[in-house]
Formats: sequence, C-alpha cells, structure tokens
Amino acid sequence: MTLNQSAGWRGLGVVSKVAVIILAVICVSLPFWAGPYWIRIGTGIIMWAGLALSWNVICGYAGYISFGHVAFFGIGAYSTAILMQPEYNWNFFATLPVGAVIAGGLAAIVGWPVLKLRGAYFAIGTWALGEAIREFATVVPFTGGSYGLSLPPNTSSAFFYFTMLAATALAYLICYVLLERSRFGYRVKAVRDSEIAARMQGINADRVKIQAFVLSAIIPAVLGGINAYWITFINPDSVLNTIFTDQMVVMVLLGGLGTLWGPALGAAVLYFLSQQFSALFGSSTWYLVFIGILVMAVVLVLPNGLVSLLPGARKRGVLNQVIGGVVGGIHQTKPSAGAATPKEARHDSP
Amino acid sequence: MDIFIQTLVTGLLIGGLYVAISMGFALSFGVLDVVDLAIGMWVVLGAYAAVVGQQAFGIEPLLMLPVVFVFFGFVGWLIGPFIYRVRTSNYALPALMALAFTFGIETAIRGGLLATFGYTPKSVQADLLQGVWHVMGISIPIVRVAGFVFALVLAAALLIFLYFTRLGLAIRAMAQNKDSAGLMGVNVKRMSTLVYALYVGVTSMAGVLVGAVYSTTPQVGLRYTLFAFFVVVLAGMGSVMGVLVSGLILGILQAFVTVYVGANYTLMTVFLVLFLILLLLPNGLARRTA
Repeated sequence: MTLNQSAGWRGLGVVSKVAVIILAVICVSLPFWAGPYWIRIGTGIIMWAGLALSWNVICGYAGYISFGHVAFFGIGAYSTAILMQPEYNWNFFATLPVGAVIAGGLAAIVGWPVLKLRGAYFAIGTWALGEAIREFATVVPFTGGSYGLSLPPNTSSAFFYFTMLAATALAYLICYVLLERSRFGYRVKAVRDSEIAARMQGINADRVKIQAFVLSAIIPAVLGGINAYWITFINPDSVLNTIFTDQMVVMVLLGGLGTLWGPALGAAVLYFLSQQFSALFGSSTWYLVFIGILVMAVVLVLPNGLVSLLPGARKRGVLNQVIGGVVGGIHQTKPSAGAATPKEARHDSP
Repeated sequence: MDIFIQTLVTGLLIGGLYVAISMGFALSFGVLDVVDLAIGMWVVLGAYAAVVGQQAFGIEPLLMLPVVFVFFGFVGWLIGPFIYRVRTSNYALPALMALAFTFGIETAIRGGLLATFGYTPKSVQADLLQGVWHVMGISIPIVRVAGFVFALVLAAALLIFLYFTRLGLAIRAMAQNKDSAGLMGVNVKRMSTLVYALYVGVTSMAGVLVGAVYSTTPQVGLRYTLFAFFVVVLAGMGSVMGVLVSGLILGILQAFVTVYVGANYTLMTVFLVLFLILLLLPNGLARRTA
C-alpha cells in the first residue's frame, strides 16, 4: 500500500516522452511568444507547482500534514523584502538563501519535538506556527506591521518567469533525485509506510523526518522571496494568508498525493480554474466554498488524484494498455505500467 | 492584587467557554479518531445562528440553545457517515485523508459565511444575561458566568451519558477498541455518526454562548479550533476530566497574557506553551488507559 507512482524517464512510454518534451519546450519558450497575461498565468502556475511540490514532500512522501506551510513562504518573502530595503540594499539573488536558511532552521527546531508525535499533533502544531508567524509579522517593528513593505520594482515579466521557472525546476530536480533516486527517498517512504518497521531496519526515523521537513520548508521560502520581488509589495495578508496553505493542500490532493508530478498537474489545473473563477465571479469569498467542496469531493471519489486518470498510472491499467498497444505494441508484456523499473516494483510489492 | 484576582476570575470564566468548546471534540476524537479542523466553524455557525434567530425572528438567544443543538446535530448526522467512510477506507493514509476532508468542510463553511455575512463582526445580545455583578471589587459579567455554568452542566451531562447509559457504554467500548466493540454487537457506524452529531450539536451550542461573550467573524473560527486542540492535547486525547482542567488552564493563561503582556501575543504564547507541552508531556495531563 504505497502512494508512489513515479517512474524514471526510461520507464515512460513513447507518448509520455513526447508529451514531456513538448511541455518542456512550451515552458522554456513561453515568454518569447506569449502575451503578458499568459506570462503572468505561467509564472503563477510554476510558483504554485513548486509550492505544491514542497507540501507534497512532507505530506505525500513523509506522511505528515503541515497546515502552516505558508509560514515558510512568508519567511522567504519577508527575508527578501527586508534585505532589499534601501538601508540594507542587498542583491536580490543574495537574499534568497537567507530566507531558505531561516525557514529550514525554523523547520528543524519546530519539527524536532513535533515530528516525534502522531500526525495529528504535527498538523495542529504547524497550523499554530503559521498563525503565530503571522501575528509575529504584524507585531514586530521591522516588518512594517500590517502596512507591509515595498520592494524596488522590476517590470520585466520575463525575468520573473525565468527565475520562478529556474527555482521550481531546481526544486523538482532536487526532489526527484532525493526522493525517487536515492536511499534517502526509500528511507522517507519506509518511515511513512511503517515507522516501526523502518526503525527495525536501522533507519533513524526522527532524523529522516526532520530532513524531509527541512527540505519541504526551504522550497517555499525561496519561492516566497521571488514572489515578494514579483508583487513588489507585501504585507501579512498577502504572503502569510492561510489561503496559501489551503491551495497547496488542494493542489496536491487534486493532482495526486505522494507523486512527483501530481502537484504540478494539480497546480496547473487549480490555478487556471481559480483565474477563470475570478474572471467569471470576481474575487469573491465563494471561491473558498468552491475549494472546500473540491477537497471533499477529491477525498471521497478520487483519493489518488488526477494523476491516477493519466495513461501510465496503475489505476487505469486498461486505458494504458490500449494506448500502449496502439503506440508501442509491447506494453502488455509489462507487469504493471506504473511500477516500470525493477527497483520501484520491488519497493511496491507488499 | 485586585488586578491579579480579577484576571484569575476572568480567566476561569473564559476557561469555562473553552471547556464547552472542547468537550464535544474530545469525545469525537476519542471515538472516531479523526482530528476535526472544523471545530471553530461549528462554534461560529452556532453564534451566527443565534444572531440570525435574534435579528430575523426576535428569538431570545438562550431559547435558541436547544434549536441550535437539534439543527446542527442533524447537520453532523448528515456529515458523519462520510467522515466514517473516509476514516475506515482502504486509502493509503486514511487518518490524513479524514483530516483533509474536515479541512474541506472548514474551508467551505468559512467561505459560505464570509460570502453571506461579510467580515463585519457579529455578536449575540443575550438580554437575560446583561449586567455585571460586583463582588468585593471584582466585576463579573453575568454572561460569562452563564458560559461557565453551561460548561459545567455540559461536562456533567456528558459524564452521566457516558457512564450511566447503555449508549455511553457502547461509546466507551468503541473508544477502547472498535473491532471488539463491533463483535459485542455495537453498531460502530451508527454510533460513530451519533457521536459526530452529538459533537457538532454541543459545539454549536457552545458557540451561541461564545457569540454572546465575544463578537464573532468567520475568521476567528480558526482561533477556536486551535484552542480546542490545545485543550485536548493538554488533557491527553480522549479524557473528559482532563478537558475540564486544561480548558480552565487555557482560560487563565489567556487572561494573564492579555493583561500582563498584551492581547496581540495571545496566540504566540499559546503556541509556545503548546510546543513546550508537546516536548515535555507528549501524553497530556491525564494518561489515557486503554
């Protein structure tokens, strides 16, 4: 019983390979042919794909729900904003690691006691952390309180598109290597599936969980820094709003929990939907109702997310065999399309 | 010294409200093993129901208590089976999915209330409970006393229900071991639904009193959810007496932080204390024997 469905490049069918290449080309070339509106949408989708990925690391891979992930996003945003104020005047790229280090450190300190306990406590603790950080940002003097901070404007939308793309792509690469192609990934999943069994195998479960939490805290901090420079004005309501965590949760659940590409898929679908929603109904609080009902519906009818509907997912073996039979002709010989590499298959077997 | 005693009394009375909010959740958590993120929203819904009842129909808020209990109990009875289904499903991480499900409930209710009533704070005007008692230089608002008394009555009723009725026996059996309880002839699904309905009804009822003491917006729901978590974590998950004690502790803590440190720091302090408790007493005050 595992959530993992990601296989390597070699495990992909021809159709999927072509699709991935087309997608990559579109991603890289978008600013050269698309209008400003679509660049903006693209930047948003890429940012959310990264944020959803980070949430998926702690939830889908490590099995702990974090309801305070916006705290790390906000920490990154505020680090960049504060260091880019005229009195410090740091280079933008130099501010990103600072936010990452602060967020990672905080995650380690908070995770150390809370990750030892059952998942429910972790959810509560991180939620309280998110609220506490928000209060902190409102109260302390150097954040500008509820008025917020302004950053020096940069009007190049392509700059933000590519910075965001680079950060998210790097995050995906790191997560792919660490979680799907290294011993660390197996440790994390082993602890998630059965902590006692993992400990029996000599895995230091506490350390693995903290490492996963730190990894999932660094990504939103970097993205938060870029986002702060992008929107040029931040306050607690815009970068520490619980709606950010809400959306990460929904995107991951919608896309597919514990899969590498689920968050990106969920982010693209939901971000696009939310843009359509606000275009149709204005920016209304009905959006929250929509999100809430969407979460409930996904949990009830599609617990493995949209990824499970794609060809290549084990859930839809029949569909996959039809497509594979048409294109490759040899797909039927594979035991299970989702677990294509032998390593994965061994891990998946009960 | 007067301020000290005043703060202590205020804290105790507020603590009563927190006990009332957390009591149902403690029960539901013990039986269903689902962490409900929507607690605060049931509180807010209760308060808004009283406000609507008062403004639209002119009903005295205190008389709304049974109506609120029955109505939201029915709502909980409708939702309960879904939560039970998710919790007992063969998903990879059922507890987590159940948590996500209640998160969906919370978000949907919050959005619905914000869309309908907006961000303006609402408060319940309980005419029967207006006024302040002055005892030896300490002022005690009657409405807070009512909240405190309500909490005590609630705790007593819950204890009687759990320990002196057959239904209570079944619920306690389920809290210990669902499979064994099922084998003994307890209809686990129906009882789970019943417990969830009871929890939603009781929490909304507490919400009416919360609405009479504080003004309420849909945004503060989160605060009450965190407070209820705090109380139940401190109590040790599933202990009724522990809830009584730790609810009062939370009230006193909040009152002292508000008076001596500043109201802006309440949540931060609560979080810090919660953090320390998790570090030092991972099982809470009352160790649950099961």
